[in-house]
Amino acid sequence: MSTDPARPRSSLRSAIGRAARRGWAGVEQLVGGFGTAAAALAVLAFVVVTAVTSLVGVGLLAVPAAARTVRALANRERHRLARYGVDLPDLAPPAPGVRGALADRSLRRELGWAVGHGTLGFVLGLLGVLLPFIAVRDLTFVLYWRLLPADPTATSIGVGTVHSTLGALWVSLLGVGWVAVIVGVVPNMARLQSWPARKLLVPDASVDLSMRVAELTSTRAAALDAHAVELRRIERALHDGSQNRLVAVNVLLGAARRALVRHPDEAEAILARAQDAAETALADLRAVARSILPPVLADRGLAGALTGLASASPVPCEAEIDVAGRCAASVEATAYFVAAEALTNVAKHSGARSARLTATLRGGTLRVEVTDDGHGGADARHGSGLDGIRRRIEAYDGVLRLDSPKGGPTILAVELPCGS
Amino acid sequence: MRIVIGEDDALLREGLALLLRAEALDVVATAGDASELLAAIDTHRPDVALVDVRMPPTHTDEGIKAAVEARKRHPKLAILVLSAYVEQAFATELLAGGSSGLGYLLKERVGRVEQFLEALHRVADGGTAIDPDVVTQLLSRTRTDPRLERLSPRERDVLALMAEGLGNAAIAERLVVTDGAVHKHIRSIFAKLDLPPDDENDRRVTAVLRYLEDVRRKQ
Repeated sequence: MSTDPARPRSSLRSAIGRAARRGWAGVEQLVGGFGTAAAALAVLAFVVVTAVTSLVGVGLLAVPAAARTVRALANRERHRLARYGVDLPDLAPPAPGVRGALADRSLRRELGWAVGHGTLGFVLGLLGVLLPFIAVRDLTFVLYWRLLPADPTATSIGVGTVHSTLGALWVSLLGVGWVAVIVGVVPNMARLQSWPARKLLVPDASVDLSMRVAELTSTRAAALDAHAVELRRIERALHDGSQNRLVAVNVLLGAARRALVRHPDEAEAILARAQDAAETALADLRAVARSILPPVLADRGLAGALTGLASASPVPCEAEIDVAGRCAASVEATAYFVAAEALTNVAKHSGARSARLTATLRGGTLRVEVTDDGHGGADARHGSGLDGIRRRIEAYDGVLRLDSPKGGPTILAVELPCGS
Repeated sequence: MRIVIGEDDALLREGLALLLRAEALDVVATAGDASELLAAIDTHRPDVALVDVRMPPTHTDEGIKAAVEARKRHPKLAILVLSAYVEQAFATELLAGGSSGLGYLLKERVGRVEQFLEALHRVADGGTAIDPDVVTQLLSRTRTDPRLERLSPRERDVLALMAEGLGNAAIAERLVVTDGAVHKHIRSIFAKLDLPPDDENDRRVTAVLRYLEDVRRKQ
């Protein structure tokens, strides 16, 4: 992250490294595309044969299989491009039967893609395969040109013959040019190769809407599940915690009353225990109420509550809170507890001198991270209250990540779907 | 009376033990979960086991399961189950194999020490103790049964106490009437509900509970 102007050489080196990586990634993408392009050609041949034989009736039997093959290949391409940051959702197999295949609008677009990818993509992919070989061949030409038979010692572009070391050096210079092409042009070729997919493999508008509905339905179901889990937690906390305390108070009071009749001197001790139990019950109730929704969240919102946590932390804690929107109250409460528990652990166990609390809300995901410069070695399973928090986070379909190598630093990161 | 307590809440477990010991009852072991409880019962062979319904690991019905298992291993063992809330299914599961020497009470009943001890002794002597709330629930859900409609208010009171597992003398004491009057009410109830009259306390409770349960299921 830190940039140091006093070291231009290392920044040059890193620029070269970046360019090389970009070029290599482009080659990789092109070669992968070459594979699917070749497959697209084969599938197209299958489709054409099916279409032609359908004219005499026989091919109709193969239509569903052809449709499924096209869809499978398109999905494969969608998966492949996902690695390069092109977000194309998978489509379900086309409806069965000839009619299902013909009615599928996305399938027609996928066929269009197969034509584009099988031609343009194929040629670009082939170049992607050949370019590295040509570059290596020319770059190293100066090393091996003498070993070749005299006559066909030619450049990769097929012009001229080489009879001297100087000539061979020129060829190697050409190799440098190929490398420049790989670095400068290949990434754009890769983009061009994925262009038909980006245009045609996006789901049809109607499909997109129904997928969106399905997604919303499942997130809604998840939200309701999380809600049910939360209610069960509260029910349990009340029945197994607070109620048991109160039952204990009741039992002890009963015992005290009996003692008053028979051994009045023992009653005092029993009453004291009853009072202890009543106090525990009160503390329990307070904790349960607070665990449902910390009052500070309602008063000051998540950003205010988190800032408050940071400033109250015994270990100096820098807060960077960027939570513009609101999330579901239960999600905000969970995020708050994560931060509170993490900061408590920092103060109790880490031996840290400073800590950092960051919270962001981006694209419907609430991310909370607590970092400290302590001695690390924290364990999410080993007590420390993290276990309960993890279960709570999982109920909300969130992710908890604890990274705490021996010697530190410790990073606790939580991601929660905002759910609003 | 030798007692084993199965209760996962430490504070409550100690409270129960303290109460019972103060009453000169012999608490021979306490357990924090179902398997500990079963082991303690196997080792100490108590007269009564006092069992919490919700225990680790799932905090649902471990106590009931343990009680049923303990009875299978030791048919003579009396079991009094304590529950945080009334759950008909718990009572039904517990009493599936008869009601002799079994009890199902809300936890808060323990505070009324005299009645709790009475219930404990009743269960230890092979009787039954069903929480009044369970009986009230059964009765309130069976209100539309035509045969129950035939009972007089007094007879309904007697029926409820019978269902709790109280014997004639205890019913008479609760309702402040003579034993003879209770006897008359009971005969009248059995006649109106078409149940065979039975003076044997245990079978009588079973018959009444089964009757109420049957009516409830038909609805």
